[in-house]
Amino acid sequence: MAETSTQVPVTVLTGYLGAGKTTLLNRILTEQHGRKYAVIINEFGELGVDNDLVVDTDEEVFEMNNGCICCTVRGDLIRIVGGLMKRRGKFDGIIIETTGLANPAPVAQTFFVDEGVKEKARLDAIVTVVDAKHLPARLKDSHEAEDQIAFADVIVLNKTDLVTPDELEAVEQQIRKINKFAVIHRTERASLPIDQVLNRGAFDLNRVLARDPEFLTGEDDHEHNEDITSLSFEVERPIDPEKFNAWIGGLLQDKGQDLLRTKGILAYENEDRRFAFQAVHMIADGDFIGPWKDGDPRVSRIVFIGRNLNRPQLRRGFEGCVAD
Amino acid sequence: MSQTTTAPFLLESRGTPRELGAFVVAVRFSRDGRSAAFALGDGTLHLVNPADPDVWHAVAVHDGATLSLAADVTPDGFVSGGDDGALRRVSAAGEASDMARFGMKWVEQVATHALDKGRGLIAASVGKVVHLFDQAGGTLKTWTHPSSVTGLAFDAKGKRVGASHYNGASLWFVGAKTDNARVLEWKGSHTALAIHPEGDAVVTAMQENALHGWRLSDGQHMRMSGYPTKSESLSFSRNGRWLASSGADAMVLWPFFGGGPMGKAPIELAGGDGIICTQVACHPKDDLVAGGFSDGLVVVADIASSRVLPVAPPEHGKVTALAWSPDGARLAFGTETGFAAVVDFSRR
Repeated sequence: MAETSTQVPVTVLTGYLGAGKTTLLNRILTEQHGRKYAVIINEFGELGVDNDLVVDTDEEVFEMNNGCICCTVRGDLIRIVGGLMKRRGKFDGIIIETTGLANPAPVAQTFFVDEGVKEKARLDAIVTVVDAKHLPARLKDSHEAEDQIAFADVIVLNKTDLVTPDELEAVEQQIRKINKFAVIHRTERASLPIDQVLNRGAFDLNRVLARDPEFLTGEDDHEHNEDITSLSFEVERPIDPEKFNAWIGGLLQDKGQDLLRTKGILAYENEDRRFAFQAVHMIADGDFIGPWKDGDPRVSRIVFIGRNLNRPQLRRGFEGCVAD
Repeated sequence: MSQTTTAPFLLESRGTPRELGAFVVAVRFSRDGRSAAFALGDGTLHLVNPADPDVWHAVAVHDGATLSLAADVTPDGFVSGGDDGALRRVSAAGEASDMARFGMKWVEQVATHALDKGRGLIAASVGKVVHLFDQAGGTLKTWTHPSSVTGLAFDAKGKRVGASHYNGASLWFVGAKTDNARVLEWKGSHTALAIHPEGDAVVTAMQENALHGWRLSDGQHMRMSGYPTKSESLSFSRNGRWLASSGADAMVLWPFFGGGPMGKAPIELAGGDGIICTQVACHPKDDLVAGGFSDGLVVVADIASSRVLPVAPPEHGKVTALAWSPDGARLAFGTETGFAAVVDFSRR
């Protein structure tokens, strides 16, 4: 996740069957951008994929034997990324298309858990394609549709031509309720500039954390239900890394199953570089990224997306990480 | 073992190095020992006769990366699998021909076993399926596993084939009338496999930086842990007394005698500088083990005395391929930067 990274960027495409994933994928691949992508697909969908380097795989999820019940990873991706790296220099990025019903967690966790994969590749963004007309019904009948939105850095709200402006507004509100930090693009036939999807550096987090629409509302409700929501907090005084590690470690251990994604940019005490933190369920990763810009306020921010988020408890916890 | 103590690295005096320009995925010697073949990430195979080390030739074998390589069952050829879905044979003269094609699926593992009278067996894994061929390329068996096959090996007699996958490994009898695998179970992702030369045990490498083994006589589990990284390279010594492994900052050798490896500590060779060992290869005749490291260092160690002979300096990138010739007179290695060499260990 360092800004000078030589790791290959990986884009994960999720979304229900029929939402327009393959249409978006083919748009990415055929648009004249002078870049080559390795594409990992799991089955031939409704449409073929037109690319030089397509890898057909079976989604093989397994549970790590590390005492963490939600730590599942994709063993097939570990092998394929390892294999692709032997051809290094022949492609500029990797795009992974998941099956319609896939939970994005194992894909994301693969990029945090496996040392070999981490060394060579970095997760650039999770892009979720949703169908404006059918999303409300999907959200009612499945957890997966909700999870796919919760995990997204970028949401392509597709088939906007099939709904009225009011319906479109309503479906976007539904998405925002689950994940208010993702960038949403309204599209017809998945048409959008591909630089809105690829090489987003979404895990660099700057953009995501800079655009919280509700940072200062100060509401202290305690959401206790099975719906996914998102919360963010900020503190202006520097963070003590030891306190933060102790707090976040305990929190992820206790609540990791409910916390789908956690992301943060932290201003550590006596440190000129920004520390970027992220986690998927219990699996966390962090690294220093570029320095704070002169004149920018050194504010630490953290974002939670998950179920049963206890706003006051999370706020107190984060504020308790401030250096003495 | 050479008694050289003055020359710091054997590569300088006895090596035939070459820059091949792409990731060295695997190196193997032919069964007659007269060719070394380096398989690269650009799909080419580079052949050299160690007796004529100035002449190398490149053969375009795969349209993509080579993923696996084995000596063919013939005296002088090779078999390779690629991410182009092809299983191909390459003769010592450099002619490539198809044995099978599997569309978009990768041919990830290849293993071979030479029988008598020119007969032999070739096994290749494609996703969850292992295909077994005879020497002419005719299909003998097709074995399906619960998940993708990650490691593949024949036992020393060519009677059984072991395949690692999620939650354990499967052992198949080549000559069985009905195909029922003996399934060796252990929860988790198993990523490589080796079979003890006397057929006493099967060992796998695991995602969680550990090895797992099953004693075949009674199914007893063997757990070998403590590695800082994943172990990707496993090699039994010629008599099966030791299992050498990569994944630590030394070559780690587990004793398979005196009740071991259960309850026994492994020995560590050529360690101490914090650099991870990435490849190991036991000598085919003597109790010696070669090791390659992530900084490019290559050494050979005497197991009994722990004495270490430096072979190549830490200068050419992570060692990704390592193999002895069948007579043990030569060691070949390759690195991720495309550096390759054959080093001569014969008495002069």
